[in-house]
Amino acid sequence: MALLVVMSAVTFMLMRLTPGNFLDTLRLDPQISKDTLAYYTRLYQLDAPAWQQYLHWLAGLFRGEWGYSFYYNVPVAQIIGPRLVNTFILSLAAFLVTWMAAIPLGIWAALNRGNGRDRALQCAAYAVISLPGFFVAMILLFMAAVTGCLPLGGIESPGAGELPFIARMIDMARHLVIPVTALSLGSIAVLQKLMRGNMLEVLGRQYIFAARARGIPEDRVIYVHALRNAINPIITLLGYEFASLLSGAALMEIITSWPGLGSMMLTAVRAKDIYLVMAGMMMGGVLFVAGNLMADIALAKADPRIKIG
Amino acid sequence: MVPGVFKSTTGLFLLCFFILAVVTAPVIGAAPTRYGGTLVLSVTSDPRSFNPILAKETSTTTMTGHMFEGLTTMDPFTLKVIPNLAERWEADKSGLIWTFHLRRGLCWSDGVPLTAADVVFTFNDLIFNDEVPSSARDIFTVEGKPLRVDAVDPLTVRFTLPALFAPFLRSLGQEILPRHALEKAVRDKKFTFTWGINAKLSDIVGSGPYRLKEYQPGRRVVFSANPYYWKKDADGGVLPYIPRIEYVIVPGMDVELLKFIEGSIDVYTMRGMDYPLLKPQEASKGFTVYDLGPDLGTSFITFNQNPGINTANGKPFVAPYKRAWFSDVRFRRAVAHLVDKKRIIEIVKNGMGYPQDSPESPAAGFFYCGDVRKYDYSLEAARGLLAEMGCADKNNDGILEDAEGRPLEFNLYTNADNTERVDAAAIIRSDLERAGMKVNLQLVEFNTLVAKLTSTCDWDAVILGLTGGIDPHFGQNVWRSSGQLHMWHPRQQAPATAWEKRIDDIFTAGVKEFDEGKRKSLYDEYQKIVVEELPVIYTALGARLVAVKNRFGNLKPSPFGGVLHNIEEIYVK
Repeated sequence: MALLVVMSAVTFMLMRLTPGNFLDTLRLDPQISKDTLAYYTRLYQLDAPAWQQYLHWLAGLFRGEWGYSFYYNVPVAQIIGPRLVNTFILSLAAFLVTWMAAIPLGIWAALNRGNGRDRALQCAAYAVISLPGFFVAMILLFMAAVTGCLPLGGIESPGAGELPFIARMIDMARHLVIPVTALSLGSIAVLQKLMRGNMLEVLGRQYIFAARARGIPEDRVIYVHALRNAINPIITLLGYEFASLLSGAALMEIITSWPGLGSMMLTAVRAKDIYLVMAGMMMGGVLFVAGNLMADIALAKADPRIKIG
Repeated sequence: MVPGVFKSTTGLFLLCFFILAVVTAPVIGAAPTRYGGTLVLSVTSDPRSFNPILAKETSTTTMTGHMFEGLTTMDPFTLKVIPNLAERWEADKSGLIWTFHLRRGLCWSDGVPLTAADVVFTFNDLIFNDEVPSSARDIFTVEGKPLRVDAVDPLTVRFTLPALFAPFLRSLGQEILPRHALEKAVRDKKFTFTWGINAKLSDIVGSGPYRLKEYQPGRRVVFSANPYYWKKDADGGVLPYIPRIEYVIVPGMDVELLKFIEGSIDVYTMRGMDYPLLKPQEASKGFTVYDLGPDLGTSFITFNQNPGINTANGKPFVAPYKRAWFSDVRFRRAVAHLVDKKRIIEIVKNGMGYPQDSPESPAAGFFYCGDVRKYDYSLEAARGLLAEMGCADKNNDGILEDAEGRPLEFNLYTNADNTERVDAAAIIRSDLERAGMKVNLQLVEFNTLVAKLTSTCDWDAVILGLTGGIDPHFGQNVWRSSGQLHMWHPRQQAPATAWEKRIDDIFTAGVKEFDEGKRKSLYDEYQKIVVEELPVIYTALGARLVAVKNRFGNLKPSPFGGVLHNIEEIYVK
């Protein structure tokens, strides 16, 4: 909570410290008079001192009012809503792909430790880790532009609104391929390494020997006894991963023209739409905190030794 | 596993697409119909409102433009005022009372008749309503007084002007709004929040060829044909031909360009830099590039001649010795001789541009005056003028010094986000330096630049552009000495120079002159004075290039109206 308040105060200050306000484009329009500008300044209270504006906004927040967007002239919540959903779709897809690829890969690598297949995978992982996500996205976009096999960014094709539901979902899935690949590739590489390491450590433990000695089938030893313990530390990461994906998606959204929170924030910051920026920041902050909370809860569930309190 | 799924989804998608294509394709074999199809367009930002009164920038006005119409409109080729919702009008002898006759049988897109009451409502309850922020109010306020609007009968409206106002007819392109749909919102003082982007789309009632069907933030805006639209084709058939327009919302022009090449959008408004990429692909990709002539806006460099003093710190806005150079017309003429318009067009606009000489763009048609003093690119002429001022390189450091021995050094500002402007600034700077000036190019944020120009006034030189219009009168905020945007010396109490006084007089006289010929000669004079005195030095205008896919009939691109001005008549071939 305190974190969110501090974050909002800093954002507000930064927005106010940068020169200009959202009326600046109007100022250079020959058809707009001084009176009209003064009218807007009064209407949006742009002449009030910064702290007064901030407190006004904060008080509103506690009443559930997110403020008003200068730029779109509607309550901020109505703009954020659909964008949040889009960001969520992207993050969730990337998250699922990451985990569904990384965990089996990690186990597979651990079981193949040291042989050619494992080495090739680890080599590829290092290569991928060293590539920044935005670069991957650009290469993919370039390849899509040359081959024409995937759409060039955006969330849907023109005319998608007319298609039946299933075709629309498929259309969106096609648009998801590039941003999701770019977002998850790096995380898969890191995560599978962690999984591999944990798995190897657990497999070397005494109780695994004991289990094997008792004649429990090898599959059961690996997937029940070893996996359960190896995955524990990784679950802690789950929440952080998701939270950082939500915020990390911003750059990818801008590159691949995904209409989510990130692209919205860029427009809002540029237009000096201060309340929209604030709401976007708060949303990001809340998601981050929620992600961490989720991680703690998941960990407590997975490991009975940890108590919340 | 993964490639397999991918392949089959692509297949399914193609199948769906194919079905869609078959369903929407025109019926072959039957009499050729012009009805049907979709026009796919793009915008680079979300609309900010669907309310034409509150609309201020292009992403919004493009949308409202399809839905609303005014009493008059402009012929896209001759720029003459022609009838629209009003079928004819007459003025009395004084030129102050105008009577407009609406067309018979006009309807709003919900079927309710459009009458004189709607016109009166638009002006009296919206434009002249103190609680409604509207840029239209500034246009219709003549000498500080609003004009009077009365309904004579349901089809007749009378306008009474407080004083002669020549741009009146042209200004009546102002969109008319429906009283029945908005009256309540105005009464409840909620008009400013009405028809925003959160509105129920079926509530937005207009008189244009299209009405809103769907809006998905960040994704698309979809229009469908307005069944009540009044315009008919030559055979009396209803218009528009194309039943559906879809705007794809893209984050920027680069994406827009890619999507156009990819083939998913139909029309792309090009930048000069796109020309070498797109032109060779015309035949293979099946589109045509139209050159619509120069832009309406302006692009220029100006020097600060403001003698004022910053009240906050008691210092002058511009160092007095610099102001002495800037207010010397020989200095400004020297700079004009150093602006290499040809090179700017070649490098910045890829050869697709026009040199600008006069404050009105050639795109303004009738009011443009090409017969002004020309400043050819000439280093010698510039050096001569500077030498005449007493500037010479006295200490042989390669930089000229003025008569008092101060080096000719100043800051040149422009906004960093406009790459074309930054490139032009670099070219201008290199030419100024060749003549012996020292120019510090400062790239700043757009908002910072605006603050410098309009409030803090602490700048030496600026490269900037302004939007333009057809009627010179609406540039008065720039040209009148009392204007906010009289950048080189804004908000003067009384004109500082004789020529500024003359321009003030011209704008006062021009707005009262109804004779188009006399009006033109007045505005010609102002253009000549400006080019003679050079408070702003013009550079070059971009060409308006539009690429359109070759699947449309009835395209009649015009320099003023663009390619979509007759959108209701355009059909899919």
